[in-house]
Amino acid sequence: MTDTPPPVEIKSTKKSWMSGASFIWIIPLLALVVAFGVAWQSYAARGPVITVSFTDGSGITAGETKLKYRDIEVGTVEEVGFSSGLGLVEAHIRLEKDIAEYVDSSSVFWIVEPEVTAQGITGLSTVLSGIYIEGSWDTEIGTAATTFRGSDVPPLIRPGDTGLQIAFRTTATGTLTDNAPIFFRGIQVGQMGRAQIGRSGAFAVTEGIIYEEHRNLISSSTRFWDTSGFSFSFGPTGAEIDFSSLSTLIGGGVTFDTFVSGGEPARDGQVFEIFDGKESARNSLFTRSEVDPLQLSVIFDENVSGLTAGAPVELSGFRIGSVDSLSGIVDSNQFGDSRVRLNVIISVQPSRLGLPGEASAEAALTLLQDRVSNGLRARLASASLLTGGLKVELVEVENPPAARLEQTGTELAIMPTTESEVSDATATAEGVFTRINNLPIEELLNSAINVLNSAEVLISNGDLQRVPGDVSTLLSDLSSIVTSDDVKNIPVALNSTLTRVEGLVAELERQRIAEVLGTTLTAASEAADAVTSSVAGVPELVEDIQTVAAKAATLEFDVLIQELTSLTSSAEALVSSPETAQLPVALSGALDQLNATLRELREGGAVQNVNQTLASARTAADSIAVSARDLPDVITRLNALFAQAGRTIDGYNQGDELSRSAQAALRDIQQAAGALEKLARTIERNPNSLLLGR
Amino acid sequence: MELSGTSEKTVTARAAGLVACTRCTRAWPIETQVCGRCGAKLVSRDENSLQRVWALWIVGLMCYVPANVYPMLRTQQLFQVDESTIIGGAVDLAHYGAFGIATIILVASVVIPLGKFWAIAFLAVSVRSGRGFASHHRLLMYEVVEYIGRWSMIDIFVVAILSALVQLQGLASITPGPAAFFFALSVIFTMLSAQAFDPRMIWDAQADDDEAL
Repeated sequence: MTDTPPPVEIKSTKKSWMSGASFIWIIPLLALVVAFGVAWQSYAARGPVITVSFTDGSGITAGETKLKYRDIEVGTVEEVGFSSGLGLVEAHIRLEKDIAEYVDSSSVFWIVEPEVTAQGITGLSTVLSGIYIEGSWDTEIGTAATTFRGSDVPPLIRPGDTGLQIAFRTTATGTLTDNAPIFFRGIQVGQMGRAQIGRSGAFAVTEGIIYEEHRNLISSSTRFWDTSGFSFSFGPTGAEIDFSSLSTLIGGGVTFDTFVSGGEPARDGQVFEIFDGKESARNSLFTRSEVDPLQLSVIFDENVSGLTAGAPVELSGFRIGSVDSLSGIVDSNQFGDSRVRLNVIISVQPSRLGLPGEASAEAALTLLQDRVSNGLRARLASASLLTGGLKVELVEVENPPAARLEQTGTELAIMPTTESEVSDATATAEGVFTRINNLPIEELLNSAINVLNSAEVLISNGDLQRVPGDVSTLLSDLSSIVTSDDVKNIPVALNSTLTRVEGLVAELERQRIAEVLGTTLTAASEAADAVTSSVAGVPELVEDIQTVAAKAATLEFDVLIQELTSLTSSAEALVSSPETAQLPVALSGALDQLNATLRELREGGAVQNVNQTLASARTAADSIAVSARDLPDVITRLNALFAQAGRTIDGYNQGDELSRSAQAALRDIQQAAGALEKLARTIERNPNSLLLGR
Repeated sequence: MELSGTSEKTVTARAAGLVACTRCTRAWPIETQVCGRCGAKLVSRDENSLQRVWALWIVGLMCYVPANVYPMLRTQQLFQVDESTIIGGAVDLAHYGAFGIATIILVASVVIPLGKFWAIAFLAVSVRSGRGFASHHRLLMYEVVEYIGRWSMIDIFVVAILSALVQLQGLASITPGPAAFFFALSVIFTMLSAQAFDPRMIWDAQADDDEAL
């Protein structure tokens, strides 16, 4: 037992220790090497950490939420926290090393999450996989940065995008939709971004991008217009409904066209206006140049009820701009009291002023400053009858109080005002409608109805139908006058008078009273001449009567109007007047008296009575002459009467197939309509009359 | 431990000038290099045993660290992916009230492996220092460790079975995580470490103790 030599064992143990040690310890060493190798590799492969801050955590989870670039994972959120003051959510993102250097200060980050909008559904994949953070940066290495501000919505223009970057502005009354697509011939060629309200609040602005391949479609003379919604018009060509496509109907959209050639290629940053429709866009090309409008402030003391944004601004009746916005203003320093005044911001289009040289807002301001010092003032005026709308007019007033148009700093220049044309009127829509209510339309209609009724009554009136009978009566009266014994007897009486005068003269010659007799004879001769001339008128009279009768014969007897009746009556009255009837009688009486005198003279033979008799004869002859002189007047009047009757009947005869009753009625209606039209024209010409009641 | 009633000291084969074949158990003179019966290499005492134990023990422990840090199971349900480590999974189960299963997992995956590491380290240290523990108990401990070794893969079996069974495309699927690999490595190295231990050293230590007494 004690033979076993211990030294041998020790030696062999030492040897195997050394050899064994070098063998088995390889495994843990190998494991260590592998572990350290893996650790070093993973450490070396780690990219830097960047911090992106968002307003809203919105599903960002540490360790899970990925950062993607062009939809490829390039990083992971390692930690989510708050910025100091809890103002923002900060996501610390571990980037992959190979892309880290590209993430420079121009990078943008946003959260991709499912979103349902009118334009469609985006980010649907994130419903299952959870949200992720998308980053975008250009392909060049720029200034390094580790802190970024993230956005909740994708940026319209990503770094490195090469599209045409332009801006849009609405008209004063236009609207914008966020992220609306830009179509051309139905193809989307661009996209608008998030709409914002412009500086003065008068319009909305947004940026837009036209994709690179469509860049050459846009030039400086390109006009954009809104195609969202639909328009419905009803006109002579029928009803028309117009919308561009269902998607723009729902989600809005903008399209454009270049109506004329010759524009310069659009530059980045150029501002385009979005018009309401194609027509206004096209019109704008010819009426409006590219220059920015000159904005002015007008402060009215009066009630501007009825003035709206978009209302015209006119200079001498020519539209040079429009009202951009309305607001109240209180400035006790400037106006001396603290009343609320109305601040109307108008924009004047310089190109409409016909400025010599380049039309710019500055040139327009200079021009207006000059005009203002010469009395140009702004005032309110009625623009629309029905709506009671107002417009702003620039008018030159006589001897105005001194005022200047001055622009101080960034404030808008204030245009001095003058008394408004509607200042005393309550030019409200209600007032207008009240006035329309007060229009005597019902009375007018009633009058028209009355006229028609009267016409009908007149036409069906028995008196009127009897007019032809009256005419007959009149003719027979005339006939009876002409054929009356008295008239017939005039020549006979004259004859006998002359016979007696002959006898008397013979006797007077004997009794030498020729000189007296001469005078008497002269008078008698005058009388006879007068009678002759009066009788000479009779054929004309008869002729006229015949004309009248002929015309009356062709008359349609069922209708005549009051004029004829009254004419007839007056004619009848004239004819049947005692003076007329007695005229021949008086003449006859005078001759009879002469006869009797001559007879008495011859029979009596009293010379002493001769002088007296002759004197009386002369008187009688004188009176005959006077009577006979009146006769032509009577006949002339009758002539005139019948000529008038003839014309009247003629006039009535000129009626064509239309029945005269209808004609007359129509004429009355025409007159009524004429009156109505005249009223309308008056209102049209001078709407103020309605408003102002004058 | 006192072998009371046995006045005789422990006599090892080595002390008797013999060497036993570890495969067929036949005893040969100590100079014999190869077993004449079964052809196995004969070594009276494996001098590298403790080195191998320690080396493999260290590797096993190194593998045990990622096995607990990395996720063991990757459970993909309809919309979510769940990755759980061993301890994390047990804690989750305990949260859901499944204390029994949580206990089993903790025992099988944490307590037993750690116990093995401790036991092997204890045996390796104690055969050198030879203090504080009876040789019988050390042997029992060694046999328990070696026996348990083959069952230590039960975690890996569970993961493998689950991964094979739960593969409902899209709805749910379970895949092993990196921890499974390291856990398996850890178990393997622990077993190798335990096997590298030469239990005869226990008795050498016993003999030393006796001499010391």
